[in-house]
Amino acid sequence: MVQITSALPIAKMIGSNRTVLGHGIVHVAGDPNLSPEEEKNLRRKLVKQAMAALESEEKE
Amino acid sequence: MRIVHYINQFFAGVGGEEAAGAPLEEKEGAVGPGRLLEQLMGGDAQVVSTLVCGDNHAVENQDAVVAAVVEKVRAAKADLFVAGPCFEAGRYGMISGAACVAVEAELGIPAMTGMHVENPGVDLYREGLYIVDSGKSAAEMKGVMGKIVAIAQKRLKGEPIGKPGEAGYLARGLILDAFVEKKAGHRLVDMLMAKVAGEPFETEMPVSSFQATPMPAAIKDISKSKVMIITDGGLVPRGNPDKIVGMAATTWGTYSIEGRDHLKGKDYEISHGGYDQRFVEQDPDRLVPLDALRELEREGAIGELHNEFISTSGLANPLSNTRRMGKEMVEKVRAEGVNAVILTST
Amino acid sequence: MELTIVRHQVTDIQFGGETRLEGDCLVINADDLCAHLLEDDRLVGADLEIVHPGEDTRAGSVFDIIEPRAKAPGGSPDFPGILGEVATAGQGTTHILEGAAVTVLNEMSAAERGGRQDRILEMSGPASEHSHYATLHHLILVSRTREELAPHVRMNAGRLASVKAAVYLARAGMGEEPASSETYGLVGPAVAGHEGLPRVAYVGQIYSRQRSPEVDEQIVYGVNTNGMMPLLLHPNEWLDGAIVPAYVLSLGGQETYFYQNHPVIIDLYRRHWARELNFVGTVATIAATDNDDRDRNCHASANFVKWGLGADAAVLTKFGGGVPHMDMAVTANILESKGVNTAVMVSDMSGDRRVESALLFNFPDVDAVVYCGGDDTKWTLPEAGRAIAGDAVTARTLAAVREVGAASVVGVTNQQGATHIQSVIY
Repeated sequence: MVQITSALPIAKMIGSNRTVLGHGIVHVAGDPNLSPEEEKNLRRKLVKQAMAALESEEKE
Repeated sequence: MRIVHYINQFFAGVGGEEAAGAPLEEKEGAVGPGRLLEQLMGGDAQVVSTLVCGDNHAVENQDAVVAAVVEKVRAAKADLFVAGPCFEAGRYGMISGAACVAVEAELGIPAMTGMHVENPGVDLYREGLYIVDSGKSAAEMKGVMGKIVAIAQKRLKGEPIGKPGEAGYLARGLILDAFVEKKAGHRLVDMLMAKVAGEPFETEMPVSSFQATPMPAAIKDISKSKVMIITDGGLVPRGNPDKIVGMAATTWGTYSIEGRDHLKGKDYEISHGGYDQRFVEQDPDRLVPLDALRELEREGAIGELHNEFISTSGLANPLSNTRRMGKEMVEKVRAEGVNAVILTST
Repeated sequence: MELTIVRHQVTDIQFGGETRLEGDCLVINADDLCAHLLEDDRLVGADLEIVHPGEDTRAGSVFDIIEPRAKAPGGSPDFPGILGEVATAGQGTTHILEGAAVTVLNEMSAAERGGRQDRILEMSGPASEHSHYATLHHLILVSRTREELAPHVRMNAGRLASVKAAVYLARAGMGEEPASSETYGLVGPAVAGHEGLPRVAYVGQIYSRQRSPEVDEQIVYGVNTNGMMPLLLHPNEWLDGAIVPAYVLSLGGQETYFYQNHPVIIDLYRRHWARELNFVGTVATIAATDNDDRDRNCHASANFVKWGLGADAAVLTKFGGGVPHMDMAVTANILESKGVNTAVMVSDMSGDRRVESALLFNFPDVDAVVYCGGDDTKWTLPEAGRAIAGDAVTARTLAAVREVGAASVVGVTNQQGATHIQSVIY
């Protein structure tokens, strides 16, 4: 499992091993200030980071 | 006042590690530290029976040993059950804790034990029992037994036990309100000044750590994996068909994303309350990143995206709920042959 | 930055002829006060009632409680940014009516104002024993605003009326012989005379950005905290009208009354005068909703404390629930890493009253924690002989017998540190 969240201190404290920094509590995988295309790119990047974390033995 | 006392092979004088496989035996009257227990209880208190068991045998056959202990305590018509004190001995602490919990639950009589704070039995049983803080050293037996006796007597008389620090038991981790003399602002400055002066201070909430979750092995090739999305942001289909509540949710739902390339705001709503939901309401992909994952699925970057996502609300949700829900979700994940989960959290 | 608080005692309030302080009886000309409030044409009326300690009276839902205070000429303005011009608060002389309060009720129901917690003022009975507000004489105010106005405009008008009323009443004390006075001043990072004593700062959250404020909501110097980063404030600014609570309080309670009578700041002042410590100053901050904002704010607050104020130690309080709890802990942790000792004040976030569920942070150095309570204290309140409601929804059931938790009775729980209810771990 990989967790995407902006509440990283909590996630780390309870022992979440693979974490990816989300893009804000209210839009963890998005950004309303970006254009739809930019936003999709952001989301894609975030998900790819998540996938990389799943493939990694490194605790993040 | 009839007492049954449980001790391990060492405290019974049977032997050390070489005797740890000894099965459960019952001896009449007090043995070893049980004599001190009887003496300190005073009055007409009598250790009518002592149960002795090797630590290895006990933990390897925990259910059977605990059941047998309960039966013997019942048969002895005991008013009080004491196990240990166990100090640092971990196996001893585990069986003592389990036995005390069972005796209290099934016989309704007080059960007491004592352990060092780092004894593994403490983390497991502290909430359900009064575990006297014994420290590490058995040389302190007299003082420790004294505290066990003092609390036992209060419980038998129905008197209030008092705070952990005062009565000498390990904090059980239960929270109760009290109106105190000093207002919080004063207590705050008091505490800081003591800390600055290097004086001892009693924090009102202890720092404590969660046990590490073992890290699962990395996925060798995610392009061959089946991936699933789980969220705690409370995204549910419009109408909230499973009636998942926003705060302290006790339930979770599974929702189909079959054939969908993205999530539309009009099809969903949010049951949460702990964050400004406007942005996710506009585009739920901002919480459940379906569009990105579908794209990656099409490109072959992931093997397959499972056709459902799981959702609940993480708002103000106590561990007593979320631990259980997490385990239930794992069963579903496994049943669907999913290899990897992406959890999005608000 | 010297602030002199001049205390006039009030042991009674009555409606009457001219508004004046007659001995220790505050006489209020209701028509005159109403006319004054209605100078703002967003108001069409103002309901005023008087309530005394010990009365069988309940009022709700409470918007705010303000101690009547007015600035003497020559010092800071009254409530700068809301009522007065924008200038630094906390200088000159402030006349206060001690023993009195303006308690403002919400004109709109919770649903209409997107609010969460509805709180009541209880003047007698089991809950009242634990609230300081039950010992005061209150002028209860409900502003009636024009219904066609947008809700946020109506709330802004209500906020203005609330401080106008507080100032109007306190003006009755000016010119009268005070009971006592106290001077707050001569504290700061560069002030001489307290060398060798521990340098102590206070970091207080004044808002949590989990909720977006209204565009014209006034929280600090009349603005709504949009775009705010931590702010260095002299302690007197907190005591003298720079900050008021938001329209929606999340958990725990904050009232203007306990900014004016801030328990942490006043305690730090007392210990400063007693030469136990050197009170070097304060930081006002907000809780963020986004990791970057959190990091920015927490580091900035910590930097103000460490480098701006040169503090050795700091106490921290929060505004709200779990996210603010985390921000406060992160700030404290950063301070600890810079060698600044900290103590933090938390409320119970467990939900199930188990310590394991209560911990939202685990920083070993943040080991001095004051734990406020309130989550398992409830009362069955009797029927109220007199019930004063601001809005129609509340009016329907306010008088009735009710089960309330501590957090719903104003003055029992408070995140400014003003109350006595603790979460004790057994």
